[in-house]
Amino acid sequence: MPTYELALVFRQLPRTELISVIKRTAEAILDKGGIIRKLENLGTRALPHKLSEHGVVHRTGTHFTIAFDSAPTQISDLKEEFGRDIDIVRRYVFKVEEPLDHKCTLHEELLPPAYRKDVQELIDIAKRKQKPKYNYNSGLDYYPFQK
Amino acid sequence: MLRAGCQLLGQASVAKTGSNNFALEFVRWRRKPRWLPVAKSKLFRVPERKKQTEEERTELMRLHNQYKTQLRSVRQYLREEVIRYEETSTADHIVLTPEQEEAEFQRCLDENAAWNAAIAKEREIRLAKERDEKVVYVQERLEAKKLRDEERLERANARVLHEIEQSKTFITRENLDAAIETALANPVDHNFAIDMGGNLYYGRNATQFPQETTNEPPQQALSN
Repeated sequence: MPTYELALVFRQLPRTELISVIKRTAEAILDKGGIIRKLENLGTRALPHKLSEHGVVHRTGTHFTIAFDSAPTQISDLKEEFGRDIDIVRRYVFKVEEPLDHKCTLHEELLPPAYRKDVQELIDIAKRKQKPKYNYNSGLDYYPFQK
Repeated sequence: MLRAGCQLLGQASVAKTGSNNFALEFVRWRRKPRWLPVAKSKLFRVPERKKQTEEERTELMRLHNQYKTQLRSVRQYLREEVIRYEETSTADHIVLTPEQEEAEFQRCLDENAAWNAAIAKEREIRLAKERDEKVVYVQERLEAKKLRDEERLERANARVLHEIEQSKTFITRENLDAAIETALANPVDHNFAIDMGGNLYYGRNATQFPQETTNEPPQQALSN
């Protein structure tokens, strides 16, 4: 089962109701055969702009994320279910990707151009493309090729 | 359409160009276009045949018969000549006795057999070499596949072990309430800022002091 992350914005609720909403959401995932890995509370804050959802305008919300594993076929059902919940203002499901394994090469990129490897390769290519040129101080007093 | 001199002696052109009978004249739109059908009034018209007199007809027939007869006789002469030449000449084939023919055939057979033997020897050497190469290639591929499968199994095992280790922290129905309480009690904030020294400033409001990790190099902080 792939790992997903559910990012939720709840409407402004008292603590008991907030707990019940979170519990409802988590149990929906568990009912669909999912596994919950982590719950994270990102705090209650003013929303970046006013949001209209289920016919109500919201200006403050509680941000919450749930990391869970679930069958991909269940995701649309879950989305539909969370879409019907009037306490949830926004819901987004993201697939958690494996972290990319990359190395920092900033110190190489900050070198002067002549020392950079990619620039040196470009110079090599340009040198290879240059046509052979006749050397004028080679002893002949005339140009031996057709002009 | 430019027609030069097609109706030079016709009365129309004479009338138009005056005394100069050999002048160029543009004859446009005189005739109907090519794609138009035969006129209805001319549809069933049968052109009258030219009359030939009896003497003219017999004379033409006589000339025709004469020409045909002469041509036939020349052709027959040439054909007989070719047949005669083919019977007598030995230009394109050498006449051999049956013994000679048999000996020549034997010689050809022997030569062919020698060629076949030489090529068979070469082919055997080549096929043996190819067979050996193929065996080596297949062996290499099999070993590579074995290695690949082992690595894959190892990775899968590691992944399974990791997941089993992780499963201790999974949230089940039993500890869901406690997990929710814990999460609500500990709000997290993934925002951070970074300065030139590689110090990380966590939190939305950068009021906190940097953590005591100034010794670590900047790229480690960047790779977070």
